Amino acid sequence: MQTNWLVEIVKRSENGPFMKEPDFEMALAKRTAELVREYGLKFDPQVPIPSDDDMADRLYQAGLDLFVEMGVYNQTTERCIKFTRDETEEIVGTALNAVVLGTGKDAVVMRHRGVESDIPCVVHSGPTGTPCTERYHPLILLSCAQEPLVDCLGAGSVSTYMGQAIIPGSPTEILGARRDAAVAREAVRKAGRPGMHINDVAVPLTCAGKMAAIDQDSGLRTSDAVLVSQMVELKTDYDQLSRVAHLKSVGMHIVDLMTPLIGGLGGGAEGTAVVTIACHILGVVLYSASYHMMSHTHLRWVNNTDRMGLWMQSMVAQALSRNTPIVLLNDIYTVSGPGTAELLWEVAAGAVTGTVSGMNQQGAGTTGGFNADHTTGLEARFIAEVAHASLGLTREEANGYALEFLKHYEDTFDNPNRGYPFPELYDEETVEPKEQWLEIYHEVRDAIIALGLDLDGGWRKVRHG
Amino acid sequence: MPDEKREEALRKELDQVLAAGDTEKGTQIARQALESGLTPTEFFVGIIQPLLYDVGKRFERLEIFLPDLMKAAKVIQTMQREVLEPAILAESGEGSELGTVVIGTCQGDIHDIGKNMVALMLQVNGFRVIDLGTDVSPQNFIDAARKEEADIIGMSSLLTPSMPYMGDLIKRLEGLGLREQYKVIVGGAPVTEAYAERIGADAYGADAVHAVQMCRQLIGLEG
Repeated sequence: MQTNWLVEIVKRSENGPFMKEPDFEMALAKRTAELVREYGLKFDPQVPIPSDDDMADRLYQAGLDLFVEMGVYNQTTERCIKFTRDETEEIVGTALNAVVLGTGKDAVVMRHRGVESDIPCVVHSGPTGTPCTERYHPLILLSCAQEPLVDCLGAGSVSTYMGQAIIPGSPTEILGARRDAAVAREAVRKAGRPGMHINDVAVPLTCAGKMAAIDQDSGLRTSDAVLVSQMVELKTDYDQLSRVAHLKSVGMHIVDLMTPLIGGLGGGAEGTAVVTIACHILGVVLYSASYHMMSHTHLRWVNNTDRMGLWMQSMVAQALSRNTPIVLLNDIYTVSGPGTAELLWEVAAGAVTGTVSGMNQQGAGTTGGFNADHTTGLEARFIAEVAHASLGLTREEANGYALEFLKHYEDTFDNPNRGYPFPELYDEETVEPKEQWLEIYHEVRDAIIALGLDLDGGWRKVRHG
Repeated sequence: MPDEKREEALRKELDQVLAAGDTEKGTQIARQALESGLTPTEFFVGIIQPLLYDVGKRFERLEIFLPDLMKAAKVIQTMQREVLEPAILAESGEGSELGTVVIGTCQGDIHDIGKNMVALMLQVNGFRVIDLGTDVSPQNFIDAARKEEADIIGMSSLLTPSMPYMGDLIKRLEGLGLREQYKVIVGGAPVTEAYAERIGADAYGADAVHAVQMCRQLIGLEG
């Protein structure tokens, strides 16, 4: 068995089949459509959470076929990095099924959960995909880190450094990355949870920028993580692979970030699901990821809480839960913003879908990432409450909840309620949610409890057995 | 001039060909249309453009997906290359392009789906498109625009840290005394019309269809 894969990956990057990028995309789109037909995959908008084990297994095989047949496109060398089916299955088979995130009393074990599992979700939070301003970024991170049901923090992204736009590859990128890492470190300290796992600093675009965030004293530690990205779809480059080399060398967690687009090269929900399975395999084989962050979004609305997005989340999670040992993390993206009931219904749909299908939780990327500072810790709390209350549900029961939740927001996609920025929803001194935001939270919470989901008992059972 | 029924029948037939991505059949239909008396411009403006507009709108609503758009684009590109361009050249000795657009994703950004979509839509709507790919520096945009004698420079960005390069390019054009030579259009998820105005761009493309409309306006055509 090959063990030093990075060297081999570089070798295959230099010697694999040469292909222009548009040709790779065209071939991928064509083969994906064929695989959807060959494996009889079918999206049903009435069933966002299917209970079809056989379809889940067929989906996995389709994704595996796509990975083996297409390989991964290296944009640097314009060549395809190919793996045989045997190699792929061997590497996937030996992947981690649990990882320790963070240190000391704040450490959590994030596991491969399985379909309809009773293993609680680990809950990540932070301004995922929602840009922050320098002024409010520290408060936003603190509002997340201090939430008792939140287990991990993502540092998110601030696009300026001392008022100047950050230019990638310039000193401002390095300074911005180090500042954001320090702000995240300070947030978890302030929250009294200094060992909490921090899952990336999002602002740097280059390998150098990412690595600059690593600082045992005041930045990211080896118990934290850095994202290594894929380019849509099934593409990487040497900059990303170089991150893997360094992170593996220092023993740091690697998060495999994929951003498949529903309506993009994979086509509809079924095809994009096939592509997303292949993306996860990429993350195992090329990135040696500790866990995999699935950030699929609708091409038009930039969310994943619509029916196609939920179906994809569920089917991909079920397929991977049943056929691999890997650790999965959803990344809930919404059209709505904080301070609105719609946002809470959206994240509830994402949380119930991910939990019952085998994922851990990350969220929320609000407003499709369009509105700065439109993110707070309260929606992360809500994700945790819904996820913990969903433990033990069957997929059929969860599907019923998802359909109910959808009624409260899906007609707003074309004209979304973007809500309010952080300072309008939280007290800047106490960093506690204001009454107006809490009222909405309690209204939606009560409505979901009335539907039968035990938001009071769920997290208590998780915490206290 | 062709009658309306004939045009409608042609559009219907071609619509199916675009959906199937059948380049051979598309080329055959284009040849037959020209042989039956339509000029290349009549065929393009009367038949292809309304179909493309419709395809673009359906894609915008996500009733069809990117692979469908790519298939349609391939049919049109083949048709243009093999039938319409030679016919136009034979007629007038000139190319069929409305204008030349140099397009790319800004430095520091490797996202290209949106940019590719705009490039495709521009191409199939009659523009000559020079796609510089992703992570393109302002100077590379300018060098390519000069080399290709472009009319328009199109910049796309999905990541906010790469957006400042849009303004940087415009400042460079001004510094080099080239601002009047090129129209500049910008777009991408975090880019807004207000941002485009603030940096002094000539236009903002909200999506692929809108970008085509704006590029047409930039070269003095109706949107």
